[in-house]
Order: sequence, then C-alpha cells, then structure tokens
Amino acid sequence: MRKEDTVKLISSEGFEFVVDKKAAMVSQTIRNMLTSPGSFAEAQLGEVTFPEISTTILEKICQYFYWSLQYSSGKETEFPIEPELTLELMMAANYLHT
Amino acid sequence: MELRRNPRVSPVAAASVVLLVALCSVLEIRASDPVFYDSFDEPFQGRWVVSEKEDYKGRGILGSREMSNPQKKRNFQIEAFKHKVVVDPKYADKTWKILEHAIHEIYNHNASGLSFEELYRNAYNMVLHKFGEKLYSGLVSTMTAHLKEISKSIEDSQGGLFLEELNRKWNDHNKALQMIRDILKYMDRTFIPSTCKTPVHELGLILWRDNVIYSPKIRSRLLDTLLELVLQERTGDVINRGLMRNIIKMLMDLGSSVYQEEFEQPFLDVSAEFYKGESQKFIESCDSGEYLKKAEKRLYEEIDRVTHYLDAKSEVKITNVVEKEMIANHMLALVHMENSGLVNMLLDDKYEDLGRMYSLFRRVPNGLSTVRDVMTSHIRDIGKQLVSDPEKLKDPVEFVQRLLDEKDKYDGIIGSAFGNDKTFQNALNSSFEYFINLNPRSPEFISLFVDDKLRKGLKGVSEEDVEVILDKVMMLFRYLQEKDVFEKCYKQHLAKRFLSGKTVSDDAERSLIVKLKTECGSQFTSKLEGMLTDRKTSQDTMQGFYSSHPELSEGPTLTVQVLTTGSWPTQSAVTCNLPAEMFSLCEKFRSYYLGTQRSEAVMANQYGDG
Repeated sequence: MRKEDTVKLISSEGFEFVVDKKAAMVSQTIRNMLTSPGSFAEAQLGEVTFPEISTTILEKICQYFYWSLQYSSGKETEFPIEPELTLELMMAANYLHT
Repeated sequence: MELRRNPRVSPVAAASVVLLVALCSVLEIRASDPVFYDSFDEPFQGRWVVSEKEDYKGRGILGSREMSNPQKKRNFQIEAFKHKVVVDPKYADKTWKILEHAIHEIYNHNASGLSFEELYRNAYNMVLHKFGEKLYSGLVSTMTAHLKEISKSIEDSQGGLFLEELNRKWNDHNKALQMIRDILKYMDRTFIPSTCKTPVHELGLILWRDNVIYSPKIRSRLLDTLLELVLQERTGDVINRGLMRNIIKMLMDLGSSVYQEEFEQPFLDVSAEFYKGESQKFIESCDSGEYLKKAEKRLYEEIDRVTHYLDAKSEVKITNVVEKEMIANHMLALVHMENSGLVNMLLDDKYEDLGRMYSLFRRVPNGLSTVRDVMTSHIRDIGKQLVSDPEKLKDPVEFVQRLLDEKDKYDGIIGSAFGNDKTFQNALNSSFEYFINLNPRSPEFISLFVDDKLRKGLKGVSEEDVEVILDKVMMLFRYLQEKDVFEKCYKQHLAKRFLSGKTVSDDAERSLIVKLKTECGSQFTSKLEGMLTDRKTSQDTMQGFYSSHPELSEGPTLTVQVLTTGSWPTQSAVTCNLPAEMFSLCEKFRSYYLGTQRSEAVMANQYGDG
C-alpha cells in the first residue's frame, strides 16, 4: 500500500493501525476529518489519534471497515461481534458515525 | 454474599452482577442527572465493576488491578456518583472554552495546528452530556461577535475596495463555516433535529445575512455600489464581472428572497428609469431604423449581462423591462415616423430594418398587429392609386405588369424580412383583392395582358419562365371577383389568336387553360377546351385534305378552321366575294370534309384575312 492511500489510526494505548483511506472513510467522522477544507492537523499528518478508544475496540473497528467494503461489493458474509465488546463498540460507532 | 476466589463463574455470581447493574441504573435514575455514558477523562479504576471473566483479566480497559476484595464492591457505587456530580458543571465550561478558542482560531486563519479529533470529541461529549443547548447558544454568540467585527471592517473599507473586501470576507466566512460544521457534525446530527433548531450551515448564512448584509451601512452601500457598476457598464465602461458574479452569487446563496429584495427589484426599477430616459433621447434624435438598431443592441446587452453575472431567472424580467420601455411605449411613433417609418421602409425595400422591426415587435403584445395594419392600409392606398390613375389605365399591359411588380415586391418583403409569416401573407392577399376589384375593368386588363404575352411576349422564353409568368397571372386571377367577365374576354381573345394563327405556343395555351380548370372547375373552361380541341382537329383535317389532293399543293393554300358551334364566340358574318380559284378550292374542301365527317350543317363563315 502506498503512503498516500493510507491513514494511521492510533488508539488510546498508542497502538497504531495503518488502514486504507477508503476503508477509513466508511466512518463519516473520519471522512470529514480528512476532507475538511481547513488545514487540520490530521489531514496534514495523515494520522488520527483516538484517546478514548481502546486498542481492542479500534482493532474491531478496522476489521469492520474492511468487512463493510467487502459487503457492499457483493460478498455478503457475517461479522462476528463478541458480546462483551458490544457496549463500547456501539459507543465508538456512534462517535465515529459508522 | 460471599464470593469465593474462584475464577469459575457461578450462576449466583452472574445473577448478582446483573442485580448490581440493575441497582446502579435505578439509583442513577433517581439522581438529578441521568448519565448513561462515562467520560473518558477520568480513570476507570475504582468506578467500574471488574469483570470476573478470564479473558479480560489483565487487559488495560477496565484496570489492570487484580480483583479486589469483593466486599468493597458495594462502596464503589456510591463513590461513582460523587465524582460525576462534581465534574459536570466545570466540565461543560471547560469543554466549551476549548471549542470557543478553536472557533476564534478558525476565524483568524490559525486553524492549521488544531486537532480535528479533539474538537470533534469535545463537541460530541458536550452533546452527549446534555449540554447541547449551551454549545448551540455559545456558537451563536461567538459567531455573531465575529461577524460584527467583520462587518465593521467591511464598513471601514475605502470606496473602491468595498466589494472586494466583502467578497473576501464572505469566502473566509464560508470556509470557516464549513470547518465549524464539520467539527460540530454530531450536534448537527442529533441535537438539532430533536430540538428543531436551524442546522449549523444555515445558521451561519442567516447570521451573516443579519449581521453583515442587513447592517444599515453595508446594506445601502452594497446596493448603491452594485447599481453604480451596472450603470457604468451600460454607459460603456468595463467592470470586474467576476467580482460582480461572486457578490450576486452570495446574495443568491443567502436566499432567493434576499436576492430579490436586495438587488433584483431595485435593479429592475433603476433599469426601467434608465431605459425610459434613453428611449426618449433616441426617439428624438434618430430615425426609425437607427432607433431599432440601438434598441436591439441594448436588448442583447442585457441578455449578455444576465448570462455573465446575474441569476438566470432575471433574464425574462429584465428583457420585459427593456421591451416595454424601448419598444412598446414607442411603437406607434416608430411605425409612423416621418421619412423613416414603416411606410418608407416598405417603399425602399429596407429588408434589414424591416426584419429588425419584425423581430423586435414580435416580443411585445400587439406589436405585430400594428405593423400588419399599417402595411395593409399602405398597400391598399397604393393599389387604389394604381387602379384609379387614368394614365395607367391607358395601357392595360403596363397596368397589369405594375400589379405583378407590386406583388413580387411584397412577397419578397414578407419572405425575407417577415419570415414568411402567414398572417402577413393573408393581409397582403386581402389588400390585393380589395383594390383589384375596385376597377371594374380589371378582368379585361388581365385578359389583355395574357393575350399580349401569348401573342408575342413569350417568344423565345424558356418553358420554366413561361410557367412562372403564367402562375403569376393565375395569382392575379384569383383575386378577381368577376371571374366570368374574365372568361368572356379571354374567350374572345383566344378565338382571335387562334383564328389569326398568332399564338406563340400551343403548349402555353394549353397549360394556362389547365391552370384555369384547376382553379375554377371544368365547367368554367369547357368552352375554352372546346376551342383548343377544334384547333387541333382542324389542323389534322387540313393535313388530311392536302394529302388526299396532292395536285392542289401548287395553288393557293387554304387554311380552314373547323369550329364547333357554341364553343366559339359568334360574330356576324361578313360576306365577301371570293375570287374564283378560292371559291373552287372551298367547294372541294367542303365536299372532302362532308365526306370524312358525319357532321351537321356547316356554316361557312369566313373570317376574311386576305
């Protein structure tokens, strides 16, 4: 993956997840961040920090991005969610507008 | 409840956890501020129940401490609430301060260092904690304050730079608005629909409108500047169209009613005034053709102006204004103008001017009917003159030729200048009909004209041209009311032509008779056709006679026309004394003829011809 197509998502513990920009844009919030006209730091550096989202959740979210792209291009699989994660996952999803 | 330090989850423990959670929620509801979401700012330790599940042991989320003394669990609940109550009011202010600062930075073009995520999170938290109202009103007041500053700086700008400054600040505002909207997206999404407030973007536009555009000094200055620029352009200067377009677009973005009130309506009024004055000036100084040229130029100019920097919907309105002021109000003056009005244009075949008049007058109500009426009365006058002029009537051929020329001329005018407009064609036809029938001798003259043509006029003329001339004659024929008079005259002339053998072309004769038949039916032309057939028969008979009596070819030639009684006009017989040879020849022919035909009594009428 080329540098320009990717964006780094950093969790509260400092774990870095490098994902495709297309995948990250599944989240409306991240999309706004990266396409906003103002020169915000995120768009310039190409990385977004989420001090309130933990690593496990962020990992799950990245998986969701890819699954979502897959689903919309035809391959309709299941997305497994462990019940313990549901609450935080839901809150993060609300935050990220996914 | 005693829980053993046993990692295995027992049903009792699970049930107790559920009960605990239920209790917590019940107690929370009873508290003043039900909060369902915990702020991530404070550490979790001590506030959450540590799960007993194996998987989560040691993970960072819920605290890495080991499961503490189970008895302390009950105390956790109470502590938690104390924290929350204390944090909240300060928390809201703190968050708002951050956001306010960010908005300031954005307006001051300092936004590059800001972290979107942080601001978004703050806004998110505020809304989540039910401080949406505070956020919204804070936003309104901050933006208003900024806009007031901006409006002040615009007011202070010097004359020429006023529009540019306004434009620049508008662009800045738009950019800032977009950034703010992105940050506050969560509020836009959730808080605003539920409270039915205006969304952020619209809010920004409304605040701009209220604080900048509607501010008294700016409002009038803006309008004056814009109208001033339009006036400059109308008098020939070049203005900055791009800038105009941006400003107009700004007004349109603020709402179509803003555009109409602030600009369009005054623009239309001022334009009406301007064109009223200008048309007055032009009418006095130019003649009709020139005036029309100028009016057309102005019209196209206005249309051009609209395409370049006004709202497309204004086009109809402004063209109406121009049409009304420049054309409709001066219609009669233009048409009846001395030495250059419609009549003169018609006389001088001024196709360009006429065409222009047609296209301009078409745009106004009653324009074309005025032109049509004047043209009709003019044609009738000319025609009446023509048919009552004694000089002209002396030479019928000349008379008819004049008629044909006039018809051609007006056909040309209608074709090239008036776009073959049917109504004009009809007007022309009715006028011709009117004056041709004023003169009772018109049918006779037309017949004489045809006679002349068929005797000698069409000699050497090609077939198509012959057709053309005959068609034109047919056209005049159609206008006649006294068609039977024409028939009578024509019959006589035709007879003379045949019997004196002076017709130029039999085909031409036949074609004209066919045309007459198509026009009026075979009843009308039966006699004429009879004559034609007779002529043919006679020629055949003559040939037969001479071929059966070859010895006579040396003697005088006899040409006999055998005529059917009734077809031909009767003339009193003039008896003449034939010389002897002629007489014998006649007798020979008579016997031959009677032999070949079973015919009725033959009346020997001799048309003496030396």
